[in-house]
Amino acid sequence: MTARSALTLSCAVLLLSACAGPRPYEPPTQPAPSEPPETVETQPGSPPTTVEPPQPLPPPAPREPVLSPASRALVDQAQAQLVSKNYAVAAGSIERALRIEPDNALLWIELAKVRAAEGNYAQAENLARKAISLSTHAPRAQARAWDVLGDVYRAQGKNNEARDAELKADSLLRR
Amino acid sequence: MRIFKRLKKFRKQILRVTALVFGVALLALLAWVFYLDQKITTQFEGRRWTLPAQVYAEPTELYVGSPFTADAIERELQRLGYRKVQELKDPGTYARQGAQVDLINRRFRFWDALQEPQKLSIVASARGIQSMRNGRGEDVPIFRLDPLLIGSIFPIHGEDRVVVAPEDVPPLLPVALKVVEDRKFDSHHGVDLGAIARAAIVNLRAGSIQQGGSTLTQQLVKSYFLDSRRTFGRKIEEAIMAVLLEIHFEKPDLMNAYINEIYLGQDGRRAIHGFGLASQFYFGKPVAELQLHEIALLVAIVRGPSYYDPRRHPQRARERRDLVLRLMTQHGVVDEEIARQAAQRPLGIVASATNAAGYYPAFLDLVRRTLRRDYRDEDLTEAGLRIFSTLNPFAQSQAERALATELERLEKARKQKSEKPLEGVVVVTTPQNGEVIAMVGGRQAGYEGFNRALDAKRSIGSLVKPVIYLAALESGRYHAASVVEDGPVEVKLSNNRTWRPQNISEEFYGPVPLVRALAQSLNLATVRLGLEVGLPEVVREFEKLGLEQPPPQLPSILLGAVDVSPFEVAQLYNAIANGGFNTKLRAVRAVVDQEGNPLKAFGLEVTPVADPAAVYQLNRMLVQVMERGTGRAARAYLPSGLVVAGKSGTSSDYRDSWFAGFSGSHLAVVWIGHDDNSPTGLTGSSGSLPVWSRVMSQLNTTSWSAPMPETLQETWFEFPTGLGARPGCGEELISMPIPKGTQLPVAPGCETGVFGEIGERAREWWRSIVR
Repeated sequence: MTARSALTLSCAVLLLSACAGPRPYEPPTQPAPSEPPETVETQPGSPPTTVEPPQPLPPPAPREPVLSPASRALVDQAQAQLVSKNYAVAAGSIERALRIEPDNALLWIELAKVRAAEGNYAQAENLARKAISLSTHAPRAQARAWDVLGDVYRAQGKNNEARDAELKADSLLRR
Repeated sequence: MRIFKRLKKFRKQILRVTALVFGVALLALLAWVFYLDQKITTQFEGRRWTLPAQVYAEPTELYVGSPFTADAIERELQRLGYRKVQELKDPGTYARQGAQVDLINRRFRFWDALQEPQKLSIVASARGIQSMRNGRGEDVPIFRLDPLLIGSIFPIHGEDRVVVAPEDVPPLLPVALKVVEDRKFDSHHGVDLGAIARAAIVNLRAGSIQQGGSTLTQQLVKSYFLDSRRTFGRKIEEAIMAVLLEIHFEKPDLMNAYINEIYLGQDGRRAIHGFGLASQFYFGKPVAELQLHEIALLVAIVRGPSYYDPRRHPQRARERRDLVLRLMTQHGVVDEEIARQAAQRPLGIVASATNAAGYYPAFLDLVRRTLRRDYRDEDLTEAGLRIFSTLNPFAQSQAERALATELERLEKARKQKSEKPLEGVVVVTTPQNGEVIAMVGGRQAGYEGFNRALDAKRSIGSLVKPVIYLAALESGRYHAASVVEDGPVEVKLSNNRTWRPQNISEEFYGPVPLVRALAQSLNLATVRLGLEVGLPEVVREFEKLGLEQPPPQLPSILLGAVDVSPFEVAQLYNAIANGGFNTKLRAVRAVVDQEGNPLKAFGLEVTPVADPAAVYQLNRMLVQVMERGTGRAARAYLPSGLVVAGKSGTSSDYRDSWFAGFSGSHLAVVWIGHDDNSPTGLTGSSGSLPVWSRVMSQLNTTSWSAPMPETLQETWFEFPTGLGARPGCGEELISMPIPKGTQLPVAPGCETGVFGEIGERAREWWRSIVR
């Protein structure tokens, strides 16, 4: 018996539909939300009629983001500008890439790194948070964002927060 | 005789008095000349011109994969004034062969880098740019074209100019000026007596002033130092100053000064000075790229910028242009055949700045206000700053056109024809970086005046609802399927009166889930929800989302009695579209000084202001507004399959019609109403929504999508009731994200799947064992 079927069995035995534990996000185009549990009927309902097919939503962005050639070139350019401590210009290059790919978490991570290098830790932290929110289903990208956040905390001497962020990054990579 | 004798007697005295008078006069004259000399040297030698700050649009980025067809690239180049040629040689030209566009860009100093001219070969298909190579055949991953100059921040007296250096001036321009205006320029000392005499004779014969004998130097003096009064004293003053100028300065300096100083046209309040700006104003390109027929036209205009206005009097302008061309051949500065060809060319004027592309007073107003925090007015109007703005001219023209078209349609559809005209506003941003890419401040977008986008504080009606629902979601006590009662509500107000709000339909809808209450914009359910969440929380949500002056803690704010400008609405919705991250809306990316040194970069900054999971749920509900609620009608305009989110708003008595909504890459806010706040009879859906849809459909935008936070799960329930259901059972199913572990009451007839999906699977597995 596989572990999965064991779990399924235990669910059935316990008659607990709430056991339908965490599952990865799937686009609602595949109609598979978990069954709601039976509870006391509190609202008067109308008899079931024909069911309309649910409206499809677009599939989520590819799991792990990659940089387009244009963004790659701009990130390389920004890294060179960063070496000469030209922070505003380096940030400008990343912003050009962000205009092309605003949802790409990797670019938000790069911008966070520019601000961190500049010593603007408040913005670096916020930008890393933005990267984290965009990479919910991209564990490697999100781990990088947590790493950057960890570095930002460490640079400010917030060692506990830094350790938490690093642990978070590690756990994402181990998944 | 006796008189003579008497005179003789006083001769000495007379002589003395005369000498004294002359002496004093001479001294006065000398003092005057000295004064004029001082004036010339201090004013002319120091900063020669006050230079209004120049404002650039955002540059167009070309890269492999960008959605440009070869036709679209060609249109873009024409908009930038690039000239189509057979063989590439000069910057500012391009050649087209089927799917391939070759160009040589102009030298341009961006705020972050200098871009030298280079050859670029672009191959594009219907899907976009396929490849880009430079002159050496190397791949170019990304390239930005020189941006459009969209205007300048000129002072109150309205003098606007773009100063050009002598090396940027085509050599034919000074030659043509001399031939037409001042043939002795190279040899005279400021005044040309022969020319004055000739002009006097001509004028005497004609009985009116037909010809001026002024040298270029005199014209320069008149324009630079004097007002336009034509008195004899002025003439003398002008002549003296011209001579003084010639003493102090070399001819090439004076010619360059003339080219930058002279008045060449009027654009509303804005006076067009100098050939640099005139070239942009009339031909949409830098003066260095002017061709013979264009140079001839500008030289023709010098004589009377309003009489020879090529937009208002094209025939006159053309006749004089051809006269200039003939004079140039007569004096042997151009070949007869070349001049003849030039005379065949049309005037080639770009569409008028005030009524088409080219002048954006509402947006420039925003730029000015942004910079006023950091710079004094004089810095902006005099110091020659260069400002890199976020304006996207394409989006701007689409927004202007959409508003104008729809307002006209709405007025035609109105029952009473004689009503006052409708006004409107459109603000478009790119939510992830908070850049304002278009702003239309009124129906006649090219006219300056009341900037409604920034200054019209109007009641926003149901546009407040998403803020209330976000506060509810953030409290953790509500989700999309939570049921609220849409029934009679009474609120005791502080003044002992009772407030009884109504739905627009004046009906009650009973218990409804949040997603439906928002999609159908139900007032009573919303008021109840807002009161349950608490007014302080709702007000705090406004503040968090970036409203600088939070609304008062009154129950009426729950139905939108909040007076906010369209720009502030864009700020609020931008934070929602940006997943709960606030970014202060920006119109300026960077400012550099006259020498090109960066003074300030307005970098992208984000601040997390709301729980991303709550914002995600709200945004999915706002998608439902467009799918099944008050935004449904947008479908007719939008590309099929494009996912958008939004909300309509209507203030009491139909005074204001609003729509605010976003896709994956654009946010647009539209307002329609009357300036005197009288009713329009329009709802948000009937007035502003069509404008919004039209704008969105033109923007080449992407679907809204965001990764679902891990704390949520997709769940089926009935849209009308919020009761749990599953495919194959239940009415009007909807799948929405709600917090994991939430238990929904189940719709009748849906109880069969007691064990859920996993239970079903377990049963099958059990059966397979038993068998």
